[in-house]
Amino acid sequence: MNINKYFSLAKENGIDEIEIKSQQRETFSVSLFRGEIENYTFSSTSKLTSRGIFNGKMGFSQTEKDDSSTLLFLINQIKESASNNELDDKAIIFKGSEKYKKRNFYNKELDKLTPEDKIALLHKIDEKIKSLDNRICDINIAFEDSKVNYILANSHGLNLKEHDNSFYIVASCVAKDGDEVKTAYLPFVGTDLKEFDLDSFANKLVTNALSLLHGTNIKNGTYKMVFSKKVCATLINNLLSHASSEAVQKNTSLFKDKLNTQVISDKLTISEEPLKEKLFYSYFDDEGVAKYNKVIIDKGVLKTYFYNLETALKDGVSSTANGRTSEGSKSYITYDNIVIKNGRTTFDGLLKKVNKGIYISEVTGLHAGLDANSGDFSLQSEGYAIENGKITHALGLFTISGNLFTLFNNVLAVGNDSELLVNSFKTPSIAFKGIKYQAS
Amino acid sequence: MINKKLATYILNLSLETGADFAEIYEEETIDKNVRVVNGLVENAASSISYGVGLRLLNGLKSVYGYTNDSSKKGLEKLALSLRGAFSEERKIPEIKELTIEKVKNFYNKCTSLLTISTDDIVSLLKNVNKEILSYDNRIVKSTASFSISKTTSHIFNSNSKIFNNTKEYGRLGLLSIASQNGKMEMRFDGPGSQSGWEFFTKTLDLNNLIKEHSSKLILMLEAKECPSGKFPVVIGNGWGGVIFHEACGHQLEASAVGKNMSVFSGMLNKQIANTCVTAYDDGTIPNEWGSNLIDDEGHPTQKNLLIENGILKGYLIDDFTGRRMNMKGNGACRRESYKYEPTSRMSNTYIAPGKYTPEEIIANTKLGIYAKSFNGGSVDPTTGDFNFGCSEAYIIKDGKITTPVRGATLVGNAKDILKHIDMVGNDLALGQGMCGAASGSIPVDVGQPTIRVDEISVGGRGGDIHEY
Repeated sequence: MNINKYFSLAKENGIDEIEIKSQQRETFSVSLFRGEIENYTFSSTSKLTSRGIFNGKMGFSQTEKDDSSTLLFLINQIKESASNNELDDKAIIFKGSEKYKKRNFYNKELDKLTPEDKIALLHKIDEKIKSLDNRICDINIAFEDSKVNYILANSHGLNLKEHDNSFYIVASCVAKDGDEVKTAYLPFVGTDLKEFDLDSFANKLVTNALSLLHGTNIKNGTYKMVFSKKVCATLINNLLSHASSEAVQKNTSLFKDKLNTQVISDKLTISEEPLKEKLFYSYFDDEGVAKYNKVIIDKGVLKTYFYNLETALKDGVSSTANGRTSEGSKSYITYDNIVIKNGRTTFDGLLKKVNKGIYISEVTGLHAGLDANSGDFSLQSEGYAIENGKITHALGLFTISGNLFTLFNNVLAVGNDSELLVNSFKTPSIAFKGIKYQAS
Repeated sequence: MINKKLATYILNLSLETGADFAEIYEEETIDKNVRVVNGLVENAASSISYGVGLRLLNGLKSVYGYTNDSSKKGLEKLALSLRGAFSEERKIPEIKELTIEKVKNFYNKCTSLLTISTDDIVSLLKNVNKEILSYDNRIVKSTASFSISKTTSHIFNSNSKIFNNTKEYGRLGLLSIASQNGKMEMRFDGPGSQSGWEFFTKTLDLNNLIKEHSSKLILMLEAKECPSGKFPVVIGNGWGGVIFHEACGHQLEASAVGKNMSVFSGMLNKQIANTCVTAYDDGTIPNEWGSNLIDDEGHPTQKNLLIENGILKGYLIDDFTGRRMNMKGNGACRRESYKYEPTSRMSNTYIAPGKYTPEEIIANTKLGIYAKSFNGGSVDPTTGDFNFGCSEAYIIKDGKITTPVRGATLVGNAKDILKHIDMVGNDLALGQGMCGAASGSIPVDVGQPTIRVDEISVGGRGGDIHEY
């Protein structure tokens, strides 16, 4: 679409300030199930999302249809949406940050791979996994790559572009021994296929699946536990939702009035670092604010909330570049690239500190088992018994329960094994005390 | 809309490298969302999604692609990239002429939601919102939202057929948060229908909904933590059916059964549940949230018997996965949008009514949990292990519902739980939800009468159940 034409049409229609985002995306995905191609999908899509200020109010619109009626559709929707908007928030279209740290990590090599190359890679992974143990079956592996062209422009002259590509490999398998069946899955995300170590990926998946077999439960009770990196990332994600300025301003955050006070254990330092890694690099948010690295919780003390333009204005501070408008509606708060600072204890050291307890490798059912508002959780989990400071055996079906805030105040030690995970979080394993274990 | 000539050309082009079936799915959806938060309209916006999906099948292989570009050039590009996955001789003779198949409309007439003014919707939402917020000052945030989704779709396939279909969904969403002494509780209720505006202004008992929503939110805020252990659990009617949906319904979908990935693969005509359990998936209930006139392969929807007196009688099948099972599609092929390849899915799935009144079931339970409603759950499709969080639960003591409890999670296994259902009530009700799986998020009804499971694991943060 012609952006300048769109902006002048908007002005003629009484929309004083306007912003548009254009996203074009191409993906290819293919999967193997039991060695046969199962899914094979191409896509090429584009989406226009726009918002603008009409009579002092913000209005929104979105379409996937790009034809002669598109510009007027967007403008009319913005007008209607703005006319119905009753919020007294100040509508802001951003004029731009002073400086943007734009870097281009687009990997042209990835574009050169043909569907045949990707299928051959999947077969190689499949064969490797199969060769490792004859109790492994029903192997499912998928490869997906995508390239995105993204433009954010507004009537103040802001024009930001991002062009990136990445790939994603995920494998799952079943470990069967007699009547017992366990499943494991492992994802990998990257921008460069050279970073993918096929052997260690296959080994890790198979080890995970087999180690879950023959689980026996231990006595119900309260234990010390080591949480895997992935589980730590999941839980910290939920905890940080209380650092959203929106939640604070709307009275639904338990971090309200807690700035510069101890909110969790002093063993934990948590930051947001969108400019650090090649993977997940992102230099502006959905409102056009330049992203930067920052500490959120320093040795347990809450240093800042996450802000977008609107909530920042309310609190008289600057946006922390955490605005998201992807759904074609009012900007809300999100955060990615969260880093929990490494501690000094090795993974084995964490097990030793716990001595007798549980290693939690996976939790499921968060949408039902975790109350995001209170932090109370009761989660179906997978894990292993720790005896005499060592992992001894898998546990059968069980749940763990507690409260997130209590949990993150009861840190025994933080591991030194942090790893960048597929959800963009970089976390180590952490040992906690006082968590309830209930076998099913 | 793609014209017949272009559709015929693309189908023929797609079939040249050996596909034995080709299908174009064109879809335009208008979404409108109005949201009132704490008395103020926060959002009232519409959006359009539009695109075309192309599916090619060859034996047990399928390839799929989609694009927003429905020009000849755009579709050609898609067809050429997809057909490259096959390299055989053409199997299907050239398609000459596509003919439109008649779709029988068994829905009751109603007023299209897109014809209702935003003002009327706002006024309904504001009333609801105001009532909830004034119920108790511990309700600190309440959102009333109304979402409309109208989809017009066209299927063109290599059987020379065209199917046209239109669906319009409306859903009222109530999401409230209550807070007291640092403790917070959230509740969601979301009645939905394809019955137009009349459903929300006439059929639905709004006052009762508001009362249930507000009073149960406060009740759960004040509730004690749920005890943990193994107990008999009475599961409430309507939304309680989510356990059957997640733990058993997904296991009956051909996508799992056909690949031997389901615990119920190869179990047809075998006893899989207690004899008191009979269950259906019925896509033909007029105007119901999970219903359809035709499925996404063009088949008329059906009332499919799944379990009869505990014996497995049927699966939910789409034509493609049916090939693995030597069975034909039974109207169960669905997808969220053109961005998803369609597959076997549920529609309105429910356990049929039994002989007990809900009061009799409670009275017959000495000590246990009454799990009235749930806020979701998940199931591992291979092992059948599941977990569900209760949004409303109570202790049952000496045959009576007593203390409300919060934070209860039911944990179990799909295969086991069906055998442990030992009482089925006579109060069948349906509840509306969105079901997410391989072919995206689709509207479904879950349902059941009040049932009892004689023993299931309950996870909770409270102590011994005898102390309640």
